[in-house]
Amino acid sequence: MKNYIKIIVIFILVPLVWAGCKKDFPIDEDGLLITDRAQCYVSNFDLIGSDLLSVRTKTPLIDTVAQIINIEVQFGTDLKNLYPQFTLVTDAKLDPKITGKVDFSDLLNPKVYTVVSGNRKVKKPYTVFITVQP
Amino acid sequence: MELKYFINISFLLSLLLFMNACNKEEYAIPTLSTNLQNDVIKRSLGPNVVGQQIEFAYAMAMGPKVGKIVSAQVEASIAGATGTFLENRSFYTNTGGADVGVIIGGASVTNGKTTKVTFTADTSAVTLRYYYVVPEEARGKSVSFTFSAISSNGQTASYAMGPYAISKMDMVLGLDLSDNNACYISIADMAVYTEANAAANADKIDLVYLYRTTPANFTHALVSPAADAIYLPGITLPSGVNRSAKVSKVWNLRDWQLDPKHQYSVFVDDLDFQKLDLSGAPNYALNLKAEAGLWVETADSKYRAYIFINSINNGAKSAKIGIKRYAL
Repeated sequence: MKNYIKIIVIFILVPLVWAGCKKDFPIDEDGLLITDRAQCYVSNFDLIGSDLLSVRTKTPLIDTVAQIINIEVQFGTDLKNLYPQFTLVTDAKLDPKITGKVDFSDLLNPKVYTVVSGNRKVKKPYTVFITVQP
Repeated sequence: MELKYFINISFLLSLLLFMNACNKEEYAIPTLSTNLQNDVIKRSLGPNVVGQQIEFAYAMAMGPKVGKIVSAQVEASIAGATGTFLENRSFYTNTGGADVGVIIGGASVTNGKTTKVTFTADTSAVTLRYYYVVPEEARGKSVSFTFSAISSNGQTASYAMGPYAISKMDMVLGLDLSDNNACYISIADMAVYTEANAAANADKIDLVYLYRTTPANFTHALVSPAADAIYLPGITLPSGVNRSAKVSKVWNLRDWQLDPKHQYSVFVDDLDFQKLDLSGAPNYALNLKAEAGLWVETADSKYRAYIFINSINNGAKSAKIGIKRYAL
């Protein structure tokens, strides 16, 4: 009977030891996977109103060289309560994170968001310029 | 040695279970009780709002050879408002799909908290609908119901339902808005006023309805009188109309009571108003579409409301709305 128990314990321990010795994938402070990708750009951008509908009037202009985003929003848009929505290249992340509504009402001091590449080595700040439809 | 015991015991247990599983159970046709029996279901869904109906279906039956049903009644813990009644017809659906009512007694008589139907037809099984109109007195309280029936052989049956919470909120449906006409909305009065009436109720006007084709995306709008003048183009406010309500646009929040035609609607209830936070919200909402909604908090923070836009008409520059309102 004791032999049976020994065999079972060995069978359980061996996979555990094997799994414990596997190489960990690198992750960053947000628990996101760090990859080899160095690309770092914004591919799409939108602003969402409190009713969770887009408030932009046309496709925004995203200049990945000058690192600026120009977006026109509808007349009467409540600029104090907008959700920015970024689409980034694969594996990239945004800093600061978007956790809720953002106040974009200070048009003279546009918001800046930094895109961080998948390998976390390239950082590009994008400035969001908003104009209101006349 | 120990393993052998273990195997033997397991085998015996399995055998026991196997024999038990194969034991044939004799089916016996259940004996139907001929006594008077009853059952109730609540048919209406959602918050119970003052002035609206709560609907029940009350079923009662007994063996036809034992006797017949003499009367049915419902006693509410709080007397229902005018319009409360117990059906005196039992319905069946004909081959054409239409519900056909069969009269089983006189019209119901309501006396205080009790609504009663006295049977005139020889009936041993029937289902009657009960419509309780929620009275003002029940606002914020709970109400219970006792359904009961009496048969000709002296048997009685009763069924208790509830308690059901009655919402604090109010509701009004089908308010017509018209640009430059009936365009002044009062949340306090749950009403729409024209310019002439608005002046007389200036301290109660919370929003102004207007329709403009320019600027683009202006279209149908609900704007506080105190909003920036660029959001009130061409509007000359009546004297004293200057309040500033906070508003927040909502999309895809179809309240079933404000707009019953949608299968997948939800219910806006007291709790939604209690949790609502409109701090930082603007005092205007432009570009409103049909089936959009609007959370509102009045300038004096006395009321919170949900305005649902049932329909809009660009040609007539009009809209139809319904309002749920919660007094803080």
